[in-house]
Amino acid sequence: MSIKIWQKGQNDEWLGLLRSGNHKAFGQFIDKYKETVFLCCRRLGLREDEIEDVASETFLAAYNGLGRYSGRAGLGTWLWSIAYRQAVNYLRKNRRQWQLEAEPEKLIAGSREKGPAEAIQDKETGKIIWEAVEQLPRLWAMAIILFYREEKSIADIAKIMQMSKNTVKTNLFRGRERLKQILAAALGEDNVSSR
Amino acid sequence: MFPADKSDNGKFDEILKQSLQSYSEPVPSGFNERMLSRIKQAEQQRVLARIILQERLSLAGSIVLGAAVLVLMTIFPGAVISFLKGVAVSLTEQGSAFMNEVPQVIGVVRNGWQFFAIFAGILGFVIYSFLDLLIGDRLRAR
Repeated sequence: MSIKIWQKGQNDEWLGLLRSGNHKAFGQFIDKYKETVFLCCRRLGLREDEIEDVASETFLAAYNGLGRYSGRAGLGTWLWSIAYRQAVNYLRKNRRQWQLEAEPEKLIAGSREKGPAEAIQDKETGKIIWEAVEQLPRLWAMAIILFYREEKSIADIAKIMQMSKNTVKTNLFRGRERLKQILAAALGEDNVSSR
Repeated sequence: MFPADKSDNGKFDEILKQSLQSYSEPVPSGFNERMLSRIKQAEQQRVLARIILQERLSLAGSIVLGAAVLVLMTIFPGAVISFLKGVAVSLTEQGSAFMNEVPQVIGVVRNGWQFFAIFAGILGFVIYSFLDLLIGDRLRAR
């Protein structure tokens, strides 16, 4: 209990520093969330040369908007929603909205540089699963990543992706089923249950 | 490797969760530094834009005020002078010996509206300086 209170106090202090425009605190904020923002931009189908620009815009928007951050949603959820909006707006501006619905080209998914999978299960499994997620339509992949990787609630995912909870649930269900199919094809039917 | 049983969906979810959480997204090196320097630059530009805006507003205010006084003096010179005279008279009525001279001064400038134009210019400048002194720093610091 006391640890929780202490952590909350620390968080409040950090948030206060962030809101006051403290650069050191914002540097820590970037450090903490940069992977998240890059992950969001990449999975939504931005090209490598566009990702850093959109990520920068996201952090700039966060910096400018911190004064208005109410604290109702978690800081991570709040940043996810900014990153998602920035990336989708970028795709809209460049008339590439269709990319959200489309399935990513397997060539790109296969050739992309992978991060180190410090496997909890085993390295191979992590890699195979991640490659399978990359083959999903982007909105399904986003829902899967937010739910399983970021452990966001359905309500938070709906807020981030600006869609209804039912649509999120549908995306999650379809994504999960497709994942099983992809994994079944990759590993052999007897290893994966496919409904 | 993966659960084969339908009832074992929970295990599939668990493996999925662990595999996705163990992934780390590559981020270009030096991103933090570039981002922070971009933020500093944006901040400087914002402060500069505010100062410029504030200066422009102050200048516009003094010009508009001066112009308004000039227009009033040109269109309604009688009304303005009688107003000023009224003020002066009311002040002199309070018994100040100094103020007794004000109507005479007004009489002197009555026939020279140019004086009032200069007066308007000075008044505008004074108001601008006064506002800048009072709230200029606060506006610039925002």
